[in-house]
Amino acid sequence: MIDQETYKQFKVVGKVLTDHRYNTSHSGNISMRAGGKILIKRRGAMLGFLEPEDIIETDLYKADSGIMLSSTETDVHRQIYLNTDAMAVIHAHNPFCVILSLIEDEITCLDAEGIYAYRKIPIIEVDNPAGPTDAAREVPKVLKDYPIVVVRAHGVFAKGNTLLDALQNVTGAEQSAMFRYYTMLIGKPLKRDYSKEKFFSEW
Amino acid sequence: MPYGMNSTILKINLNSEKIVENNLNDEIFHKYLGGRGLGIKLFSDSVPKNINPLSKENILIFSIGPLTGSVTPTSGRFSLVTKSPLTDTIFHSNSGGFWGPYFKKCGYDSLFITGKLSSENKGYLLIEDYDKVEIKDAENLWGLKTSETLEKIQKVEGKNCQVLCIGPAGENLVKISSIMNQANRAFGRGGVGAVMGSKNLKAIVVKSGNKKFEGKNKERLKKLRINAIDKIKVVPITSQGLTLFGTAALVKVINQFGMFPINNFQSAYTEPNKIDLVSGEHLRERFLEGNEGCYNCIIRCGRMTNTGEKSGKGPEYESLWALGPLTGIFDLKTITHANYSCNEYGLDTISTGSTIACGMELQQQGLLNEHSLKFGNNDMLCDLIEKIALKKEFGADLAEGSLRLSKKYKGESYSMQVKGMEIPAYDPRGAFGHALNYAVSSRGACHLTGFLVALEVLGVPKKIDRFSVRGKSDLLFLKQNQSAVEDSLVVCKFVGYALGFEFQARFLSTILDKKISITDLITIGERIYTLERLFNVREGFSRKDDTLPKRFLETPLQKGPSNGRVVPLEDLLNEYYEVRNWDKNGIPTDELLEKLSLEKLT
Ligand code: SF4
Repeated sequence: MIDQETYKQFKVVGKVLTDHRYNTSHSGNISMRAGGKILIKRRGAMLGFLEPEDIIETDLYKADSGIMLSSTETDVHRQIYLNTDAMAVIHAHNPFCVILSLIEDEITCLDAEGIYAYRKIPIIEVDNPAGPTDAAREVPKVLKDYPIVVVRAHGVFAKGNTLLDALQNVTGAEQSAMFRYYTMLIGKPLKRDYSKEKFFSEW
Repeated sequence: MPYGMNSTILKINLNSEKIVENNLNDEIFHKYLGGRGLGIKLFSDSVPKNINPLSKENILIFSIGPLTGSVTPTSGRFSLVTKSPLTDTIFHSNSGGFWGPYFKKCGYDSLFITGKLSSENKGYLLIEDYDKVEIKDAENLWGLKTSETLEKIQKVEGKNCQVLCIGPAGENLVKISSIMNQANRAFGRGGVGAVMGSKNLKAIVVKSGNKKFEGKNKERLKKLRINAIDKIKVVPITSQGLTLFGTAALVKVINQFGMFPINNFQSAYTEPNKIDLVSGEHLRERFLEGNEGCYNCIIRCGRMTNTGEKSGKGPEYESLWALGPLTGIFDLKTITHANYSCNEYGLDTISTGSTIACGMELQQQGLLNEHSLKFGNNDMLCDLIEKIALKKEFGADLAEGSLRLSKKYKGESYSMQVKGMEIPAYDPRGAFGHALNYAVSSRGACHLTGFLVALEVLGVPKKIDRFSVRGKSDLLFLKQNQSAVEDSLVVCKFVGYALGFEFQARFLSTILDKKISITDLITIGERIYTLERLFNVREGFSRKDDTLPKRFLETPLQKGPSNGRVVPLEDLLNEYYEVRNWDKNGIPTDELLEKLSLEKLT
């Protein structure tokens, strides 16, 4: 059983992701490092309505029998922890990020908040976007240098110092993607393109 | 003839040693498929009321299904149907390995064995190919353990044969004996080994026949298989959990939910450092030599183990639990040796462990005078297993199973069974849908015929509240029917963690070259399940038998995450009968029989 404080964080983050419609009723997974273990959402549980039993403990370094209960993407989370500075990880299916991933190779932020926090959000492609194996290999490589990455046609993986920090990255990236999407939809030239001035492509 | 089937039954009458081949009516296939469904139909058409399961009137029916031996992942399985000497109900069991695909290639769908060889003329059956079948002398095999039997037979028949055999337990008509498959897989539960022993039949040997299955839609099947394999590789339970740790991956999981029975179900939770001693991880670290898989399976959940003193197969989750914590034993080496011993003597591990645990509680309550029978006593376990198999000393009482044992010593409430069959490794107080399945299952306490733990604990396909009552019966109805279909196709239940039921429907439709919907399959499952019930009703079973031991209804668990719970069985049962369209006494209604084109058995 996990402690009340940790449970509260999982519950809040799960609810925000669901309320923002970043996931379907049961998809998405969130986790945090704790005492040499990973605490992660249970497979088949609803992210927006997590109960204490829905937070599963599994080994940080290798697969253990916690795999029988934990999220399908547990391996991606584990590899992120082992290869980056992440203390918490969120995987969600942010609609605007996914849409842009179908047509672009990176999401260049146009809005001030996005420019400040991300400049650009990388997009990667794997052979089997719904399976954890390819993502477990490729996602950590990108998260070494970025707080969030989009897997083409699938969703985002974001890291943070805490679950709430990772949540900020998921929601922030989605907002930037939305601004970019609507701007592209309008189709008019930008009055001022900050991304050009600040050499985002070099970032 | 439907694609994927042979439409032929091989019938052996051991009384006269007559061997005949009969055609199988296609209509039976369309209504019952193969495997368990086919066996249940043939059995209930052939067996008169209230036969003694250990008499020559009982029949053993082994059947393959339309998917057996096909490209469908985990399609190495086949089914057995008989009447159980442990429960007196109709009984089905299934096993993996390679025997099923070999038998199918000989050109048969079912092996139908009736009668009995004389005790001076013990034999084994050899099936080399279509129409090449004989009964051979087994005098020199009688009394041998299962691995010795396998070795001797392979010396005579060649390495490339698959062998079902009984050990000394089956020969001695032990009511908790199994039929072993290649000496390390089992047709477990229900004392089916004793049925084979009662026929003086030591083994059934099959060589791979020459029949080829030239089905249609080869390309489509190939693509379907690629899709299926992709899914199996994605889902952690099938791609990692079962592969890395075998079914023992469940040890810590089930304990975590306060459902891991200890000391004959006196508790169902233990501290993390103690459960680690018997975990799948610990088994892997200490004893695992390699994985082992059935025909066409990439999951390969089987454990090949070596303790440094002995080597063999397993233990799997249920065996590890029953021979271990259920008897208060947490020493993994003792448990592993006990498991080897059960395989060698041909004993069902769940019933053996549970019957010993029942004896321990009878002793604890002062109803017995067997001082070594103490929870946690490692020293006596392997010795006792031998005594059960040989019916020696107190072993003769244990050989009858826990219900008969507890009745004899006036402690019936200490036998953790339903309809005489011992309850498997999930405390029903921690998952009410699963509890209901124990109570109503047609073969006694069974975890396989409607594994609601998948939803209630593992969250597959989605998590449900394990303590809710409303709607559990509907889910159980669905799962039991699905399970009856899986057993009739025949595929392994574990693949269901990765592949939805729609995969089975698609594989079947593609092989048969005929559209079969999920709904069609569920109706077939319902028909099979109802026919089993009709058989049991004819034998005198009814609502009074759909129950659980008092402990689960009246004594709440005292610690762990299922603390304070008892099973609200009456509510669950009332709803279940409604859903099944059975009357208040648990008898299928006329309306249901008409819907399923069934008739009452007379
Ligand atoms: S999962 Fe295990 S039992 Fe099932 S077919 Fe594969 S090896 Fe056999």
